[in-house]
Amino acid sequence: MPSFVSSPIWRVAFALLTKSTLRHWGQAKGSYLLIIAIVALGVGSLNGIRQASRAATANFGLFNEAISGRSDFLIEAPAGPIRETQLPGLAPLSRQPDWHLLPVIEGPFTQVSADGEPQRLLRLIGLDLVAVANLPTFIDREFAFGQAESRWNDWVGAAPRVWISSSLAADSGLKVGDSLRGAVGGRMHELEVAGMLGDADNPVPEDLLIADLPAAQAILTRVGEIDRIEAVVNDRAARQSPARMAEIEDRVRALLPEGLVFRAAAERIAERADMTAAFRLNLTILSLIAILVGAYLILQALDTAVVRRRAELATLKSLGVGQRALFLTLMLESLLIGTLGSILGLGVGVLLASGAVHLLADTVNALYFATSVEAIRMSGVDIATGLAVGIGFSLFAGLLPARDAMFTPPAQILSRGDWSPGFVWLRRPWTGLALVGAGLLCLLLPPLPLAGGARLPLGGFLAAGCGIIGAALLSGQTLVWIARACQRVAVGAATKLALSRLADGSSRHRLAVAGLVVAVAMVTGMVQMVGSFRVSIERWFDVRFQAELYVSERTAGGASAVNGIAPEVLQAVTTGPAVTFADTLYISPVGAPSGRTYLGGVDLGAWSGRVAQIWIKDPGALAPAADAQPAFISETFARRFDLMEGGKITLATPTGSRDVTPIGIYADYGNEFGSAVIAAEVWKQWIQADRAINTSLYLQPGTDANVVRDALRLRFPGLEIRNAQELRTLALGIFEQTFRVTSALNGIGLTVAIVGLALGLFSLFAESAGTWATLRRIGFPAKSFALTAGVEGAGIALAAWLSGTFVGLCLGWLLIYVINVQSFGWTLVWHLPVGAFLGLGASLVVFGFLAGALTGAWHRRGLS
Amino acid sequence: MKKWLTILVLIGTFVSAQAEPNPWIEPPLTTERNFPVPRPDVVPEIPAAHGSYPAYAIEWWYWVGHLRAAETDEQFGFQSTVFRRAAGPDAGDAEDTAQCGDDQLFMSHAGLSDLTAGRYTHVERIYRGGWQAHSAEGQLDLAAGPIMAMENGQGGFSMTVSYPDDSRLELTLTPTKPMVSFGDRGLSRKGADPAAVSWYWSYSRKAVRGQLWRNGEATAVEGVAWMDHEISSSQLGSNLAGWDWTAIQLDDGTEVKAYRLRENDGGMDPWSACYWIDEAGEVSYVYADRFEWREIDAWTSDDTGLTYPTSVDIVARHPDTDIIRTYRLRPLLDEQEFRGNRAENPYWEGACEVLDENGDRIGLAYLELAGYGGGLAAQLAQ
Repeated sequence: MPSFVSSPIWRVAFALLTKSTLRHWGQAKGSYLLIIAIVALGVGSLNGIRQASRAATANFGLFNEAISGRSDFLIEAPAGPIRETQLPGLAPLSRQPDWHLLPVIEGPFTQVSADGEPQRLLRLIGLDLVAVANLPTFIDREFAFGQAESRWNDWVGAAPRVWISSSLAADSGLKVGDSLRGAVGGRMHELEVAGMLGDADNPVPEDLLIADLPAAQAILTRVGEIDRIEAVVNDRAARQSPARMAEIEDRVRALLPEGLVFRAAAERIAERADMTAAFRLNLTILSLIAILVGAYLILQALDTAVVRRRAELATLKSLGVGQRALFLTLMLESLLIGTLGSILGLGVGVLLASGAVHLLADTVNALYFATSVEAIRMSGVDIATGLAVGIGFSLFAGLLPARDAMFTPPAQILSRGDWSPGFVWLRRPWTGLALVGAGLLCLLLPPLPLAGGARLPLGGFLAAGCGIIGAALLSGQTLVWIARACQRVAVGAATKLALSRLADGSSRHRLAVAGLVVAVAMVTGMVQMVGSFRVSIERWFDVRFQAELYVSERTAGGASAVNGIAPEVLQAVTTGPAVTFADTLYISPVGAPSGRTYLGGVDLGAWSGRVAQIWIKDPGALAPAADAQPAFISETFARRFDLMEGGKITLATPTGSRDVTPIGIYADYGNEFGSAVIAAEVWKQWIQADRAINTSLYLQPGTDANVVRDALRLRFPGLEIRNAQELRTLALGIFEQTFRVTSALNGIGLTVAIVGLALGLFSLFAESAGTWATLRRIGFPAKSFALTAGVEGAGIALAAWLSGTFVGLCLGWLLIYVINVQSFGWTLVWHLPVGAFLGLGASLVVFGFLAGALTGAWHRRGLS
Repeated sequence: MKKWLTILVLIGTFVSAQAEPNPWIEPPLTTERNFPVPRPDVVPEIPAAHGSYPAYAIEWWYWVGHLRAAETDEQFGFQSTVFRRAAGPDAGDAEDTAQCGDDQLFMSHAGLSDLTAGRYTHVERIYRGGWQAHSAEGQLDLAAGPIMAMENGQGGFSMTVSYPDDSRLELTLTPTKPMVSFGDRGLSRKGADPAAVSWYWSYSRKAVRGQLWRNGEATAVEGVAWMDHEISSSQLGSNLAGWDWTAIQLDDGTEVKAYRLRENDGGMDPWSACYWIDEAGEVSYVYADRFEWREIDAWTSDDTGLTYPTSVDIVARHPDTDIIRTYRLRPLLDEQEFRGNRAENPYWEGACEVLDENGDRIGLAYLELAGYGGGLAAQLAQ
């Protein structure tokens, strides 16, 4: 124990803590448990989201790692797949025993029930089932593809045999020899279950489906293609030595044939992490807001505790207990609350993470790429972060009440007046004005580019933070103005008394308003953004999707979990007698000057005519550059690559670098990485592929779309065929899912702020105990007592709502016109959900009134 | 995986000529699994005899040798083996050109003994026919994981073997004696089963020159090597616990090959034999009743705990001279245990010196001791 702890001041503080503070805790167990629970909730929400986000996005697609072990390096084509004919060029690399080369192909396989309904998305991984037996992890884990290894020929080849995880086998009731039914590329497949992999000691992901490479290629209709070649260093101890790994990397690079690119596997993970950086940052910011509001609550609660103990503090001071000892005692109390709350919060975090992880994983799958959920794990960093945040915020929150207790003279304390030097800054507008000014300056900051092509609107976020806090500090003045305005029309003693107290604008009144303003602003701003997003997407849907039927591969996954429709299936679907026109979209990721983007292939003529779009720049509005392929580009693409006024960009395709030039810009809320579409025939040549991602069918006038849909569903059970309404419902469902986390955090923030209001009111009444006692003695009735307190609560709520709504409107503008544009590159239609605003205001005022009345009534009983 | 090795090595090592002609058993055209069976009276043609015979079930190429660095006088031993196993005439749906074929399996074992530094390095890889392993027909053009060997167009062969830690052996091997074919009418019979025959061709002496690359630096080496190539479509029975085998290259220009098949009950199988190859390439041999394999000393592996009789005396009566000869094999390095990837069936195979009954050095040898981990018979029975 440090020596200073034995100093007199610390001894006094410890004595006070154990003899006085803990006695108070015992007398008001409920209050203190609530405070600790608040800290726990704050820490839990921050940590829970961290852990859930990590678990949901940790497995970035190298699903075969459970079988083959962690890969150290990746060999890929610059864009698109590696051709199998390129493999012999890698033979010299393959002869080196210091590493293993493992070609991998992967794609989605949607397990389908007997009645044709998709059940779950599985990741079909094609590996060389012979070569994988050389890998150290495979050997260590004693994986095997069969009982008798000499029957190797039973495993390999193009026959549709797969190995499934033991957990999937248990879940689906599958056993060796059974048939696994599913869809790939619009075609149905019956795969023979050849074996199970993994057990309790060596688990493999439940959604893993392993097949021999030729079998996987055949199932995915990608014969001759390989997604990547993974290199696994044979001596796993070498991974601990950067110098050794660098030497191995140099050797691999030296033997790498032309036409292939090499990178560390960690780079791919980093790239994927960059792709979701904005998503994860949003979550972090939301959880930080939640904990900030939580800190406010702690501040309110500790302040209440200090106010309640004023008499005791005054007595202690009179008895000679020094200011520093009192300060130290209260800070130790904050430390204790923070520590207990943080420890509890770590557990709460795991619970929250467990609940949220699938929600987040679904969102990631829907928006970014197929990922699988890892187990929730609490790391040392999580524990340290949780403790640091919980204790740090508790100490910060305890600082002002502790300073109040330290400096308040005994006479003043005993008078129980509004004497709060710790909060006096709330009465000074300059801090708030300075923060608002700083926020405005932050708007000038450009977005921060992230490695994966995403952009971080740092200035926007800083501006939002400064604006909210600055406005919260200024909001006390609103309370004063409202109260003074209402005083002119107020009737009745109780109301006048309440308004008089509000018009005084004490520091604690202002603090109560400020806390609520933050929550209201956050909720109002987010509601606008979500609402605007929804309205924009609905408008986009109304214009863009006017075909009768929409056909895509049947898959349970999101944007990246598609393999494409097999050409012969597409041909059959689009040439039916009822079809007058099919708008078919081919799409592939391609390399861009910064990160990756998407290149599509369409009928450009049709897109200029019958296929409706929301055009940001009409077809032909931009002059095409010479020697470049004409393309329509999405708004996101245009903003990301600075092509709003035309120009040219070079994209890396499987057949080399290609230039495209925009001839029109369309709205597309489909992906945040942008896309350019060129003529389909050119796309096929460039990408060397012929699988479409979807097709929209325009039917003969008078045709019943549902009849055609049902006929197609019967004929092609591997395809997802929806009418316009079904597609709209599905898309909006994904949209709702995406914002579910946001809504949950809004709820947490608002709940915490409302509890804070109740605590603040309690503190206010405790502080005015002398006034209330006098009123009670002169016959102020209980009803008036409740009415006064209720009006006070309602006034605070009203001021907070008005200020919060104003700030929220500014925040909404910021989110829509700065943060969204910088993050995603798309413009939203600003939608103001006025009804929701009014509903929130009314609810807050009613709740404020009720909270005030009940708190006042409860306090009055305490006076007796 | 190692059970294949076991089977293949058993076949390769012991499908040898018999000392005295047995009654001729006509081999069938095909095995029960429809593999072709090697035909009698086939005179191997060079270079086709070095190439692959993919229609047959089993085939292996085997090189062992002793090297000396001209400048530093360092000594090395090497063992390089490629096994090929066919899936079957009715199996395999991939095209012959497929990069991931499904009708041929290759396994490579490469061991390098640095006899001066007392260091042993070994590597095992298994691949399917395709971009990582192939064997051409018509001439030697072989690659399987770390081992690559081919004709060099000058009557010899070039071979490159890669080892861990960026070490590499680049050798040119030139036969100094004619290729030997074992067995009656060109067929090496290994049992009473009519199909139990193989083509078994060896170069008992090759001059070797080349370079050993370590840490980016080359060391010139030269020495002498032995090469086997065997093609078969049948497997051995399951009554064997293991075997001991040696290829001896004597300083007088002759070679001796001897093997002891160890039965489960501890006895020596009657098919065990000792061969002499004279300077002209003529072969003489005796069976188990005419020679002894005496265990003199043993070495225990720290890694596997297995004990191998690495010092042996082979005492045999030469059928032509009727003189009893003693060949004392002493390991030049104890730690030459090949553990492979899965360590299910490790074996010892290493460089030895050969002494006569007086203790004078008379040559060099490679000694293989297999099946000391137990369970070989059970594995063979699978």
